[in-house]
Amino acid sequence: MLEFKGLTKQFNSTVAVKPATFTIPDGQMVGIIGRSGAGKSTLLRMINRLNEPSGGQMLFQKRDITALKGRDLRQWRNECAMVFQQFNLVGRLNVITNVMSGRLFHHGFATSMLGVFSAKERAFAIRALDRLGMAHVALQQTDTLSGGQMQRVAIARALVQEPRVMLADEPIASLDPLNAKVVMDALRAINQEDGLTVICNLHTLDTARQYCDRIIGMQDGVIVFDGTPKELTDKAARDIYGAEAEEAFSEAMTSTALKPSAPAQPEVRVVN
Amino acid sequence: MASVTTNGQDQDPVSLFETHRRQMIRDRMVVNVTLGVVFLGFLLWSLWISRFTPDRLAAGLPRIFEYFGSVMPSLQWDVLFDSRNEAGRFPPGSIGYWYNDFWKYLRLIWETILMALTATILATGLAVALSFIAARNCTPFPWAGALARRFLEFCRGVPEILFALILVFAVGIGPLAGVLAITIHATGALGKLFSEVNENASMRPVDGIKAVGGSWFEQMRYGILPQVLPNFTSYALWRFEINVRASAVVGFVGAGGIGAELSHTISFFSDDRVTAVLLLVVLTVTAIDLLSERVRHRLIGKESLR
Repeated sequence: MLEFKGLTKQFNSTVAVKPATFTIPDGQMVGIIGRSGAGKSTLLRMINRLNEPSGGQMLFQKRDITALKGRDLRQWRNECAMVFQQFNLVGRLNVITNVMSGRLFHHGFATSMLGVFSAKERAFAIRALDRLGMAHVALQQTDTLSGGQMQRVAIARALVQEPRVMLADEPIASLDPLNAKVVMDALRAINQEDGLTVICNLHTLDTARQYCDRIIGMQDGVIVFDGTPKELTDKAARDIYGAEAEEAFSEAMTSTALKPSAPAQPEVRVVN
Repeated sequence: MASVTTNGQDQDPVSLFETHRRQMIRDRMVVNVTLGVVFLGFLLWSLWISRFTPDRLAAGLPRIFEYFGSVMPSLQWDVLFDSRNEAGRFPPGSIGYWYNDFWKYLRLIWETILMALTATILATGLAVALSFIAARNCTPFPWAGALARRFLEFCRGVPEILFALILVFAVGIGPLAGVLAITIHATGALGKLFSEVNENASMRPVDGIKAVGGSWFEQMRYGILPQVLPNFTSYALWRFEINVRASAVVGFVGAGGIGAELSHTISFFSDDRVTAVLLLVVLTVTAIDLLSERVRHRLIGKESLR
C-alpha cells in the first residue's frame, strides 16, 4: 500500500504539486491525467525520489519513503521501477546489457564496473525480453531500434528489477497508436499477471479509461478528480483539462483506440 | 481584422525599417571602431616590447640559415652509399659517416615513443576518473567538482618542461622524470576535454540507471561512459601525438628520450649530427601524426555514419 500524506513539491516560487493526500492499494492500475504542466510528472518522479519532495510524507507498506538515504534509497528505487517517455536507455549498449542493467542494484562494485553479468542474469533478461516479444533483438545496439521497440526494452529492464511498483511517465506519448497499444497492453498484463501496482501518467483520456482501474485527475498541481473510469464523466474530464479539453478529446481519437472496423492488423509485433 | 495588418501608426514600414537599420549600423560602428583601436594599441605595444623591427629582422633571418648551413652534412655523391673501409670506418661524405650513431638515435627515438605511450595511457586513466568528478552535470558533490577543475587547471597550466625540471631533481635523470612530467600535464589537458565531453552527454540514460537503483559509479559507467567512449579514444590518440613531441623536448633537461641527445649535439658539436637527429625526430613525429590521424578519422567517421 502506497500512502501519500500531504506530499508537495515547490520549485522556487512556483508550487508544482500542492499537498497531495491519497492511498494506492497494492495491485491497482492507476492512471494520472491532466494537461501538460499540471504536475503529473513531478508527482510520479517524487515517488522514486528522482525529484525530492519539498514537504509531506510518503509511506510504502508503512515504510517512510521520503526519509530514505544512500543504499536504502537505491533499494527503494530498485523495488519501484520506472518507465520513461523517452525510454532513457543507453543507446550505445546492446539491448541485453540495457535489460541486465536492471539488476545493477544487486551487484558489487567490481562486477558492475567491469560489466560482468552471470548466465542466470542473462537468462532472466532474455525471458523478460521474450515476454515482450523482443528476444530476437537482444544483441542489437539499442539506438538502432524504433521507439516502440525501445519502450518494450525499457519495460523489460523494469521487469528484471523484480519490482513491486511500476511507474510509467507518459510511456506512450512519443509512440504511434499501434506501438502505444502494444506498450499499454504490456503494462496491463504485468499489472494483472504479476499483481504489480502500476502508476501511469497519461495525456489521453480514453487510454486511461480503457486500461486503468482508477483515474486521478490533476490541474495546476491539485488533485481534482479521483475515481473509477465510470465516474469520470465528460463534465469531470472537461474540468480537468479546462481550455485544452477539445484537444484532449480529439487526441483521444488518435491514441490507443484502434477502431474495431479498421483492417485487422496481422500481428501486433513490429519488426524492422 | 484590420488591426492585424496595419502597424497602427500609419507609417511606411519600409522607411521605418530603414530608420532602424541605420540606427543599428551606427551603434555597431562605434563598437567596431573601439575594438579596432584597442587591438591596434596592443599590437603596437607588443611590437615595441619585443623590438620587432624590420632592420632587426633583416639582420637576424639570414643567421638562421647560416646556422643550418653550418650543421648541414657535406655529402659527396661518389662515396654516398659506400660501406665501411678496411679500417672499419665510413668514408667522410657518405650517409654511413653522417649517421654513424644511427642505432643509438633509433634506440633513443624508440624510448621517446614509449615514454609518450606510457604517459598517454597513465594520463588517460587519471583524466577519465577526474573528468566525471569535474563535469558539472556528473559531479557527486559541487565542491569536489570545483576542486577537480582547479587541480586540472594547475596540471595543464604548468608546462611539462617545468614539471620535468622539478622531477629530475626528485627522481633523478632518466625517462621516469619525463614520463611523470608529461603524465601530469596531459592529465590536465585531457581531463578538461573529457569533462567537456561529459557535459555534452545526454542525461536521460543517467536518469534511467538512477531509477533502477544504480550508484553514482554505476550511473557514470552505464549512463555516461558508453556515450563518450569514442570521443575519449579520439582525444587520447590526439594527445599521444602531442606527447611524442613533448617527450622529444623534455630530454633537454635530462628527463630521458631523444631530447638529451639533441641538446648534447647542439651544445657540444653543432655539426651535421644536429641535422641527423633533427631529421629523425621530424620523420617520426610526422609518421605518428599521419597514422594517428587516420585512426582518429576512422573512429569519428564510423560514429557519424550512425
